[in-house]
Amino acid sequence: MTSKTRYFVLTAFGILALGLTTGLVASLAGLPVAFSRAAGPDDLNYVPAQAVAVAYANVQEVMASELRQRLRRLEPDTADRDEFEAKTGVNIERDIDTVVAALLSGPQAGSDSSRPLVVVRGRFDQVRIEGLAREHGAAIEDYQGVRMIAHTGDGDKQTMALGFIEPGALALGSAEAVRGAIDAKRSGRNVLSNTELMRLVGDLNASNAWVVGRFDAMAGKAGLPDELQRRVPALSWFSAAGHLNGGITGTFKAEAKDDEAATNLRDMLRGVVAMAKLQAGDKPGMKAIVDSLQLGGEGKIVAVGFSVPAEMFDALEAMKPRVKGQRPADLR
Amino acid sequence: MSTSDVTRPAPPSMFGAARRVFELSFGEMLWSRRTIFMALVVGGPVLLALIFRVVESLGMPAMRVNGVRVAGSSVFGVMIWMLYVRFIVPVLGVFYGTALMADEVEDKTITYLFTRPIPRGAVLLGKYLAYLACTSLVVLPSVMLTYFLVVPFSEVPGTFLSVVLDLGILGLGLAVYGALFAFVGARLKRPIVSGLIFAFGWEQLALALPGYLRKFTVAHYLQALVPHAMPSDGALSVIQGLFRQTPGASVALAWLAVFLLGFLWLAMRTVSRREYVLEQ
Repeated sequence: MTSKTRYFVLTAFGILALGLTTGLVASLAGLPVAFSRAAGPDDLNYVPAQAVAVAYANVQEVMASELRQRLRRLEPDTADRDEFEAKTGVNIERDIDTVVAALLSGPQAGSDSSRPLVVVRGRFDQVRIEGLAREHGAAIEDYQGVRMIAHTGDGDKQTMALGFIEPGALALGSAEAVRGAIDAKRSGRNVLSNTELMRLVGDLNASNAWVVGRFDAMAGKAGLPDELQRRVPALSWFSAAGHLNGGITGTFKAEAKDDEAATNLRDMLRGVVAMAKLQAGDKPGMKAIVDSLQLGGEGKIVAVGFSVPAEMFDALEAMKPRVKGQRPADLR
Repeated sequence: MSTSDVTRPAPPSMFGAARRVFELSFGEMLWSRRTIFMALVVGGPVLLALIFRVVESLGMPAMRVNGVRVAGSSVFGVMIWMLYVRFIVPVLGVFYGTALMADEVEDKTITYLFTRPIPRGAVLLGKYLAYLACTSLVVLPSVMLTYFLVVPFSEVPGTFLSVVLDLGILGLGLAVYGALFAFVGARLKRPIVSGLIFAFGWEQLALALPGYLRKFTVAHYLQALVPHAMPSDGALSVIQGLFRQTPGASVALAWLAVFLLGFLWLAMRTVSRREYVLEQ
């Protein structure tokens, strides 16, 4: 064997060995988190690994969107929002940048003890919020150097808490979930190591609001009737993502447990879309939405995309004065 | 000292002889003009994967189907199907497999090989092993590069087992197609034409027809092992998907082993028995 051939063989073996070793280590030790920039917002670091669903909203982008500005003009009054701002000093539109919400599974499988967690990033007046909490009987405690406000309402099963996890970020939820968030960030054992969930999050980077979760966990929480749950083909994961600007574009993706279940779901959705098209025949606004529905996906993935164009909101705005003068019965 | 006292070295065994032919042929095959063709064929997917990575890293979805962004792992699955399983493996099998003996005949060097004190079958076996090493060492690293370029690192844990399976399937495909076309090359006069007709004519047609004809193709068994969803990229694919009856993994593996050993044995037998007449 000439040296040229030897080098070639060594290079080829080197590429194979490096690839196989990297893949194997990544599969066994969860290296993707260490070596790659994890998908999704940085606040996922606060979400414990046992999250069954994660949602995200870029509040600033949504609030600044053309669509939001239009909807704002249609809003009747802002009394509740103003009251909230007066008490907490937080203006939701101005002071909140992003929100990450998660549903954490209970300590025992199958138990109905899911814990909600919300991580909010923005600008907060800590003193004012603490003062307000004390007024309502909340206790202040310290956990791992993080100041926490805990409160148990009359008849509440869980103690709710708010933790100032870092400057400009706070965590809300059950006290256990907030402590879990602090632990998750410190230990690095967070949702970023949940490869199945993060695989779906990785596909949603361009959206300014999304939710990803395990279907069985969410179906139970959503209170879907047993009959409907039985009829929906076996799904393991789902994701829904939307992008708001002038209009709304969104996709819903579901991962079935096998190819057959995915084919059944695609067939079912095809039927639903066809029925919706029939129903929307003489309603131009609905027709635009239904026509934008696109069914896709392959293998175990089922995907539905939709788009609500800005023109549709123009039509809604134009309808508003007419609707005001009419009784509900006239609209039918 | 009489001539009877001179001890001649014993002729090497079949595998010893095959090893010597392998050592001789491997370097020759690797640096032949045919390798330029192989590099172009195998470099295509790597180049496509590189373009995909650049586009994705710019924040744009490189591939969309019905407005839905296609994930890197799905793109890799499509590349394995359309580029490697359906094209690269059969085409390398045809070009290299048919040339194992045909090149020696064409270059009129077969005489030198056959005058050596080694079994004739060992010549083909050694050359076949050289083909397998040469193509595997080019195709499999290219699959690995394509995988890491297309599939985001966060998706590696969930998809790594399938890429290991892909490597095994492609290696097996190269082995079976190589054995089949080594036999074709040893048996027929214009092997490359027959090989191309078999790989891209007969196999495609048989897979698209209902009935049992598909059982007489290598692709039927090889495609049954591919862990990715079969893409519907054209009318022929749609028809093939419609009539697709996938055999079980054990059945597919058993038939591929039968094809591999059967055709390799037939090729060695043909080389051992056939009289090659060199054109002057």
